[in-house]
Amino acid sequence: MRKIISFLVFLLVFCWSCPAFGKIYIDIDSPSFQKFPMAIPDFKNLGQRKDAENLSANLSATLTEKLRITGFFKIINKDAFLEDQDRAGITADSIDFSDWSSIGSEFLVKGGFQYNGKDLSVEFRLFDVVGGKQITGKKYWGKPEEIKTMVLKFANEIILALTGERGVFETKIAFTGKKGKISNIYTINFDGSELAMVTRNKSLNLLPHWSLDGKKISFTSYIRGNPDFYIKDLSTGKSRMIMGFKGLNLSGPWSPDGRKVLLTLSKTGNEEIYVMDLARKKLRRLTYDSAIDVSPTWSPDGAEIAFVSNRSGSPQIFIMNSDGSKVRRLTYEGNYNTSPCWCPGGKRIAYEGVTNGCFQIFSIDKDGSNLLQLTFENGGCEYPTWSPDGRYLAFSAKGNGETKICIINSNGLNLRVLYKKSGLEAIYPSWSPRLKLY
Amino acid sequence: MKRNLRVIGVLVLVVSLSFIFVSGCAKKQVVKEEVLTKEEKATESAEAVARAKEESMLKEKALKERAMKEKALKERDILLKEAAAFKNIYFDFDKYDLKPQMREILEEHAGWLIQHPEFKVIVEGHCDERGTREYNLALGERRAEAAQNYLVTLGVAKRRLTTISYGEELPLDPGHTEKAWAKNRRAHFVVVTEKK
Repeated sequence: MRKIISFLVFLLVFCWSCPAFGKIYIDIDSPSFQKFPMAIPDFKNLGQRKDAENLSANLSATLTEKLRITGFFKIINKDAFLEDQDRAGITADSIDFSDWSSIGSEFLVKGGFQYNGKDLSVEFRLFDVVGGKQITGKKYWGKPEEIKTMVLKFANEIILALTGERGVFETKIAFTGKKGKISNIYTINFDGSELAMVTRNKSLNLLPHWSLDGKKISFTSYIRGNPDFYIKDLSTGKSRMIMGFKGLNLSGPWSPDGRKVLLTLSKTGNEEIYVMDLARKKLRRLTYDSAIDVSPTWSPDGAEIAFVSNRSGSPQIFIMNSDGSKVRRLTYEGNYNTSPCWCPGGKRIAYEGVTNGCFQIFSIDKDGSNLLQLTFENGGCEYPTWSPDGRYLAFSAKGNGETKICIINSNGLNLRVLYKKSGLEAIYPSWSPRLKLY
Repeated sequence: MKRNLRVIGVLVLVVSLSFIFVSGCAKKQVVKEEVLTKEEKATESAEAVARAKEESMLKEKALKERAMKEKALKERDILLKEAAAFKNIYFDFDKYDLKPQMREILEEHAGWLIQHPEFKVIVEGHCDERGTREYNLALGERRAEAAQNYLVTLGVAKRRLTTISYGEELPLDPGHTEKAWAKNRRAHFVVVTEKK
């Protein structure tokens, strides 16, 4: 795939898109954010080839699908369109924007394609319907089978132009798929494509965490009988046991500088949090409490660590400085709060807590204010993990005899099932950093 | 003539000497060979008797040993079967303290283990599905440790005990009821023979 993609050249062809940058059209982080209405008519065949009609619908359908999963857009149904598509063009001067504003659309994407022998070129243009002007436009050349890549590239451009930050199409979510007494680690793309197995053995493999460069995944495996700590290099396919102390060797997140990992070890007969320097394999113990200490997560600047402890009686979330000093309790609401994950923005922490006898996902400011319940699923939701832009959370959701991986926007809206398979419990999701997939 | 006689004399001497040498050697070798053969035969038969005796003794000993070993194995199997029936101990939700009833069970286990020092025990800690998975890995470890520590205070050597937590990953009862959860919050004992 990567090889094919390297063929793909893209060029910024419409320079008048530049003034639009800098203006953020959609403040998706605002709690009152409402999806923006957008229209995506079929793409125009700009060439002579006649047998390409289904590509017109295919391109707009693919872009619709990819934008819909971001949760930022309400894509208007084609049946509502008023524009005479045979007469209208794909540039601002050939579009009557009132055709689009009258059906409630605030944004419009038009596109065209052309075959040049075996190659295909596709151009995309995003318009501000209210302002009657183009916001951004791109043209891509490639093979016909690279349509998805072109669409995703432009979907990222749309999100960048409207929100000030690229989309997360080029990310993956690792998770554990469990069936009976066996569980293995998988990865899947943000759009639900390209499911792949990371481990393939007959033991329990749990708690995947990504390295900073996305090239390695650490996890805990019972392959030797004991829950030991492993790192798998995804490029070489080789797994190595890194820590195999008696008792728990629980895999935790990699530090923001990529040089350390957090671990929970019970080698002293007591579960404590440690930080390991990856180059020197040197351990430093961070917690000293007779209670259970587990589930550490770094703040994005690496200065603090949130973790779970039952030192006050029930499991609650605490924060300490990254050297183990200044421990303070974060959560007081409810008597079972676990699985903290620190938002890449640094301000908020997501976690799971029991409410009405069932786990749900919450988020809270790191000073303990602005507590917000994000999920309301019947079977319960566990183990939240933030996307690298902090705009989404993935988690494991139970219900109807299934345990699946779901994604919501950070405000709790737009729940989408990322992965489900009957008979396989999908648990322990972990969001990758930004990768180069397309 | 005199010179001729001397030549003949020398020849005769040489021929006769060589005859003596050759025949003497040949004779000696043959005799020795025979003796050797006789000796070999003689010792072989003597050794055979002794060896047969020894062999039968060894065989008897081996048979006895085998019977003993078999008996020991049978006894060990009976004991392992006994040990396999080691009762689980159960815990309350999110708890790892040992209730009085559970202590009684552990006291029985300790009594048996002290009587049979040739066995080791793996103490498994398990949880129900209601808690958080990762937290439950720690909680399961705590349950196993609580059981292990009590066995140690009851006099079981610590080197004979190991713990492992499976969290909520290996439920005994896959159900989602109060009853199933209660069954799953357990410490389980796997008794194994001492490794050489």
